Amino acid sequence: MRAIYRVARATFHEAWRRRFLNIFLVFGILIIGSSWVFAYLQPGAELKMIIDVSLGSIRFFGMLIAVFMGTRLIPDEIEKRTIHTILTKPVSRAEFLFGKFLGGIATIFANVALMGAAFLIVFAIKAPQFRAMTTEGSMSMEFMTGNIVKAVILSFFELTVLMSIAVVASTVFSWIIAAIFSFFVYFVGQMAEFFNQLANPERDIPAVAKALLGVIYKLLPHFEIFDIREAIMRDQFMPWNVMGKIVAQGLAYTLIVMLIGYLIFNDREV
Amino acid sequence: MNRKTKKITGWLVVIALIIAVQPLARRVSLDRLVLGINPPTPWTRILARSNQDPELAVTGVTGVIVGAILGGFREVAASMLWMKTDTLWDKGEGTHAQALWTMRLTTLLDPHWLEPWRITGWHLAYNMFVETDDPKEKAKFLQMGVDSLKEGVSWNPDRYDLYFELGWTYFDKVRDYEEAAKWMQAAIQFPHPEYIDRMIAHAFERLPDMPRALDWYDYCLKRNPTDGTAAGATITIRERYLPAWKLMEQGKYDEAIAAIDKWLLVEPNSTLGLHMKGLIYERAGNLEGAYEAWKLAGETSALNAHAQAKAVEIAHKLGKPVPEVAQSLFREKAKGGMGISRPEEEAAKKN
Repeated sequence: MRAIYRVARATFHEAWRRRFLNIFLVFGILIIGSSWVFAYLQPGAELKMIIDVSLGSIRFFGMLIAVFMGTRLIPDEIEKRTIHTILTKPVSRAEFLFGKFLGGIATIFANVALMGAAFLIVFAIKAPQFRAMTTEGSMSMEFMTGNIVKAVILSFFELTVLMSIAVVASTVFSWIIAAIFSFFVYFVGQMAEFFNQLANPERDIPAVAKALLGVIYKLLPHFEIFDIREAIMRDQFMPWNVMGKIVAQGLAYTLIVMLIGYLIFNDREV
Repeated sequence: MNRKTKKITGWLVVIALIIAVQPLARRVSLDRLVLGINPPTPWTRILARSNQDPELAVTGVTGVIVGAILGGFREVAASMLWMKTDTLWDKGEGTHAQALWTMRLTTLLDPHWLEPWRITGWHLAYNMFVETDDPKEKAKFLQMGVDSLKEGVSWNPDRYDLYFELGWTYFDKVRDYEEAAKWMQAAIQFPHPEYIDRMIAHAFERLPDMPRALDWYDYCLKRNPTDGTAAGATITIRERYLPAWKLMEQGKYDEAIAAIDKWLLVEPNSTLGLHMKGLIYERAGNLEGAYEAWKLAGETSALNAHAQAKAVEIAHKLGKPVPEVAQSLFREKAKGGMGISRPEEEAAKKN
């Protein structure tokens, strides 16, 4: 455990020295900070636009950070040959892999927390103003702030799953191929329900195709479950038990992916 | 345990975990469905929509918009599409298939944005309606406009806006006052402007249903005693039409007609007077008289589709050959009215 903690801490500190990650973070915060300007794109629905732009930015820049950091964590160590130094110490491959991953997760957490805080500040300042000047005055906002916090929390868990995919992909492919693969899985995972609908037994398609679609649906991480913007827009209370199940599903996928990563990385020559 | 056995065990654990997580995934999927928080899945719905309207090809979606959707900026993508619709409009291509498609796509991407629903419904029921001379085509556009607004209502059931917009389309374009009153009564369940209460009374007045019109004017006056329109309308109804209405209710149809004719002598083209006359004749079982009264009301005002549709309805009963009226075709097809459902759901039900 101590070895995992040390690798994770080193990864976390190293991540803040990577300039491109800082740039993504700065861009994310800048866009969130100026989301109220974008709000004027939708007259009469400014508040909704702030929420969409800000949550979209957290997910989008979070996704860039997760993929570009996740896919570089291990290949960089192999490329610089520092991995040999680490693995000759009493650090197992599993400890190294999980330490790297947890360090990445800590970085994602810090990034999402910063962007989330920026969003909440903009929301606190602008929401009352927009609510007063538009027909949204009649819009209920009883659960909105709570739902926004929940959406940010779920974004973090979504990025955790993505990060695990990026890390594992990088143990198989070069980092650039791993990044493309991770983006692909992320976008396809956003449409997982689509595969489920296609695999519907009542649909008139060949049984083999249906079975294949069913397998794809079961294997794909369901990224769309982390999106609760509908609940925010409708100001509907998001039950904690459902939140818990979504988080549990995210963590289960992360565990599965990391286990696959361990099995692959354990066999890989470095 | 040797290395190979460990590896096999590891992969078996992975498979077991994948299987074990499925009930949880199903549970989450069900919970989200029950809560109604699944995002509108544009791709599936766009595909479903394309199957319904194959002539509407996906031509309005640029790479930037696809990127915005995939990046999680659904509302931004909707705004971009809306701006694209605006550009097409400015180029005079507002009635082309591409503009219709970008409008529809905007509503699919951001169903909680009211303006695209409002404009799309109006565009279909008003602008597209006048683009053709064929009553069947006109009826189709009315249907599309009304369906679009009903779908908008189903996404935004706690705001007055689209209920009113739908009520107004029934009032002003379809001229189905019964339906108009129903939707406007739904609108006033939420914070709303005062004039909607009065619109309900106007709808009943034109139907005509004078007692209900008076009830609603009375309601308006209780809410705002300085409402001059409601006060004036109450006096007019009581003076001109209520006596005839009472006589009709008592079955004294000839006297009721005489009471209405008294006012029609003063104002021969009075819409309300002619509507009342048509109704009295209808209740009396004098379909010829009813047909003539409704026909006259329809001819007096080219926009009086209510009277025109009533004339067509009675002409059909009498076996008279009459030219089709779009609103009449629409009404025949769309009997039922208040059911809220999405076109895709209706298509699914049929399948």
